[in-house]
Amino acid sequence: MFKKQLFSQARSFATEVAASSSTSTTPITSVNAAIILSRTPIVTPEIPEFEQKYYQYQEELERRLMWTFPRWYYFKKGTVAEREFSKAQIYPIPKHRGVWFPKGVPDIKHGRDRRFKETIILPKKHQEEEATHASQASGAGDAQVSELEDVARPIKLNQRTTEADAKNDQTSLERQLSRTLYLLVKQNNGSWKFPSFQLKDNSTALHEVAEQGLRSIGGVNINTWTVSSTPAGVVKYGAKGEVVGPTSEGSTTEFLLKSHIIAGKFELQKNDNVKEHKWVSRDEIKELVNDEYFEQVGHLLAKV
Amino acid sequence: MFSHQQIRKPLLATFQQIRSKRTTAISPEVQKLVTQLSVLSAGRKQPRLLKLCNEDYVKHQIITKAWSQLRNQKKKSDEALLNKQLDSMSFACEELKKISPELYNLANKKEYGKRFPLEIRVPTEYPPRNIWYYDYVPPVAKDSKK
Repeated sequence: MFKKQLFSQARSFATEVAASSSTSTTPITSVNAAIILSRTPIVTPEIPEFEQKYYQYQEELERRLMWTFPRWYYFKKGTVAEREFSKAQIYPIPKHRGVWFPKGVPDIKHGRDRRFKETIILPKKHQEEEATHASQASGAGDAQVSELEDVARPIKLNQRTTEADAKNDQTSLERQLSRTLYLLVKQNNGSWKFPSFQLKDNSTALHEVAEQGLRSIGGVNINTWTVSSTPAGVVKYGAKGEVVGPTSEGSTTEFLLKSHIIAGKFELQKNDNVKEHKWVSRDEIKELVNDEYFEQVGHLLAKV
Repeated sequence: MFSHQQIRKPLLATFQQIRSKRTTAISPEVQKLVTQLSVLSAGRKQPRLLKLCNEDYVKHQIITKAWSQLRNQKKKSDEALLNKQLDSMSFACEELKKISPELYNLANKKEYGKRFPLEIRVPTEYPPRNIWYYDYVPPVAKDSKK
């Protein structure tokens, strides 16, 4: 049902409208193009506690119901690898005649007690032992480049929280790697909102005005990708600059366009209107921004 | 019973299956096939059937129900958000049409061959060593020779 609606709407978007001479009376000066510039997440989302526990529960169930590991397929009988593997495993206690097993008589097939999950212990590799010996012997020594180029080096995982998280530097792009960050700009009256730019004439498209405006306040060294030339939403302002409902006639109409920042830095240029900027997630935007503005814009922002 | 008596086969001949250990050696190709088949079959590898007591079963039911409710809730909220976004988009386009048909046409221009940029990064479980590329410089457009 939803998809059909989407296609019918798409068709209605695509139909060209003939520019008639007797158009509506709103002049171009009261139209703004705002840009919702987002930094997509760099890292997978944080899994909530209940989901983590559920995944753990399901993993345990799967382990309990898993077939016995076919070591005869992976390790050929008589090889050194097979001997080392078998040596590393803990053989379960087999059933004996006359012995009382209060927790149940063992049922062992292929070296696995069928009542429980199988735990496989990986034997320590020779190379790992050699590497540890080598590192102890040489000391600090070699430059970091050769360490990084070493293909057999152990996998070292980077931290998901960065310095920017620790300092809570809201102008940094490296903060909150698992969330989507949006560019917010402080207006002269002290309120925070998405950067918006006035349209001069009919000739330049909304998305182009928005992109050019972004570069005028943030410098040219930003690599962005505009999601679409079609506006994602609209905010109407009254005479005094307050946000006005969608049904009423406002004096200023602001069209919001979505874009992603891929590389580069937003360096605040000398400007009359914009003195501060922030990269904030949806929850932080909800706190910073006016409630009426968030009502109009909130659904366009990603929850993750 | 007696050796001189003729043993007559009954009308329905029953075949008795006897399983015994392999005495003769088999070729490596056949051995390979046998190991592969044994890995694919459940024989002697399947653990015991998991039997839950009543209390444990109730717990399992509660967990499963909670999970399905969570998933349904997430699906519903995602669909509601998408619908809201679509409504917002169509309303914005209607407003733009009222204001300026030229801008409306420019906004709805077909972007043929538009794809996600190659530079955009897919989220991974852990970040890279250099988290963000700050040194971007826009390409200089070459002046065409006349």
